[in-house]
Amino acid sequence: MAEKKVIAVVFGGRSVEHDVSILTGLQFLEALDPGKYTGLPVYVDALGQWWTGSILSKRSEYPIKKTHHTALTQLTLDLATPANGRPQFLTFQKGIMGEKRQAIPFDLVVPAIHGTNGEDGTLQGLLDFAGIPYAGCRPLGAAATMNKVFAKRAARTAGIKVLPELLVNRPAQGQFLNANTLKEALTNALGTETYPFIVKPCNLGSSVGVSKVNDMDGLMAALMSAFRLDSAVIVEPFVPNLVEYNIACRRNEKGVVETSAIERPKREAELLDFKNKYLAGRKTGGAKLDTGPSEGMASLNRVLNPDELTAKQVNFIKTCSSQLFDELNLAGSVRIDFLSDEKTGELWLNEANTIPGSFAYFLWEAAKEPMSFLSLTNAIIEEGFTLSAGRLGNTTADAGGATLFAGD
Amino acid sequence: MTLKKWHCEKFGLGNQAFYWLHGWGHDLNAFKRMALLFKNGTVHTLFDQPGFGKTPALPEGATTREYADILAAQLAGTKDAIFIGHSYGGRVAVQLAAHYPEMVKAIILIGGAGLKRKRSIVFKVRAAALRALGRVARLFDFFFKTQYRAAYIARFGSADYRNAGPLRGTLVSAVNEDLSQIARQISCPTLLIYGSEDTETPPEIGRKYENLIPIARYTELAGYGHTDILSRGAYQCEAIIKSFLKDLDHA
Repeated sequence: MAEKKVIAVVFGGRSVEHDVSILTGLQFLEALDPGKYTGLPVYVDALGQWWTGSILSKRSEYPIKKTHHTALTQLTLDLATPANGRPQFLTFQKGIMGEKRQAIPFDLVVPAIHGTNGEDGTLQGLLDFAGIPYAGCRPLGAAATMNKVFAKRAARTAGIKVLPELLVNRPAQGQFLNANTLKEALTNALGTETYPFIVKPCNLGSSVGVSKVNDMDGLMAALMSAFRLDSAVIVEPFVPNLVEYNIACRRNEKGVVETSAIERPKREAELLDFKNKYLAGRKTGGAKLDTGPSEGMASLNRVLNPDELTAKQVNFIKTCSSQLFDELNLAGSVRIDFLSDEKTGELWLNEANTIPGSFAYFLWEAAKEPMSFLSLTNAIIEEGFTLSAGRLGNTTADAGGATLFAGD
Repeated sequence: MTLKKWHCEKFGLGNQAFYWLHGWGHDLNAFKRMALLFKNGTVHTLFDQPGFGKTPALPEGATTREYADILAAQLAGTKDAIFIGHSYGGRVAVQLAAHYPEMVKAIILIGGAGLKRKRSIVFKVRAAALRALGRVARLFDFFFKTQYRAAYIARFGSADYRNAGPLRGTLVSAVNEDLSQIARQISCPTLLIYGSEDTETPPEIGRKYENLIPIARYTELAGYGHTDILSRGAYQCEAIIKSFLKDLDHA
């Protein structure tokens, strides 16, 4: 039997979605086929330091206590992949002969960091640069979907229905937002200045920093608070009778884009915010965390395959999501979110999450042809190996006839 | 012996039957998450074992052999089924496989109990002393109508023992039972899955079973305990069980 491949799942990260990412990462590790792969938990803390250690597999160890850092090993990623081609992490251990360098080899990285510095193409670019195989979207697709305005423009160009939006950049130091120019910009971009509007940061997911505003004062306040999270903010018209629908897409082994079940996240408040998206039903004080695959995104109140959707609407969601997946050449399990007016049934594509919470496994398990989380992790990993292997082919200078310093 | 049918939940369509037997203190829901991962093309029955969930208890002191006999009577005519047992359910599965081989195609024990653990001298001395203390307490209660035995149980009894109620006799007989000889009689292939951090049925028990049962495969899951192996370990178990079933079909 071939040696098991070591799969480094990187989670946590310098992102507002740090904690959600921990759940996603641990769930992926738990769903790895133990006959084929060995999981290596790699935790990126809020300062951006990388760690590994067996205590990372336990939800009850989080947040990692300072004293526990002794149970962890700090890692650095070796960007100069060694000659045998197997990527490695490096650790430095103090011994009597000074510092000793130790290598922890692995075969593939699975980025499980949501949001900035993980889902946005930066980590992917770094790994491509180092020639390290990784799972999921490539830098272009990851970056394109992370920027909501860019993603919407790409979708619009492809003929996919999206809401109009106004992009507001954070004013320079010492400058302030001007109500009059804002008013004008709103009318230009959205055709009208009819409240309410939705304000959201341009580059964040998980509904972080999203708010609904009813007047100019509210808009200014919402913009200011959103600027604390992101340098660019989107203002969109508010969809009355809002319901959301999510679907996941992935490319199967034959190269065809497949779609999962559709879900409608249930909501009690008028708008999904971070708290009721992730903390729904959780009581204060000691959260019961070590219960496994049912928590996090999956235990949130959701309706899978909601029956109010007509065949036409289902078709719209499936077609638009597959189209966007193809258009931006995405990979992995990507969740694509739609907005809908419950009364009119009108639908708009909202955004794509290339590293969705829990890798959206529950949507695949509820698909017409159900796919278990186990097969999903297998597929994501195999796809990662294939994509990384086929990236550029031979790119040494002599291949393109660009040799300047020829030897004898 | 009551022959009332055990309460169960059934799902799936197909020829291969799976019967899931939960552990002590659980009910059929313990295996639900994992069983659902197998539903394609196979039939699954999740039981509430007597005294748990919605199935009434057997007469006081029923042994694992009696549990197995009653289950076999209910499933009379069954052939080549797969039985999966967690902890106490593992004991019942072992009894079933040993005494009703025609019914069983394979058994799968997840943190299965039934064998004695190796204990240190200190532990043995302490346990003997505590048992003696318990007997003294009972004696005192008998002669002087005191409540020492209850206090002793509250202080030293295990959580399972304290909560066992009418099942206390069954629990005591199970804890004291050693299935070594019975395990040797098993002729069907057996899969053993144990969590490396399981303190109730540690990997040591799985290893012992592996040595006793003629056709056995042992797998240890790193980082899982006695109960979370069923929830967050569900997918890892799924992978191991599926590859076992595949090999079973090719055997």
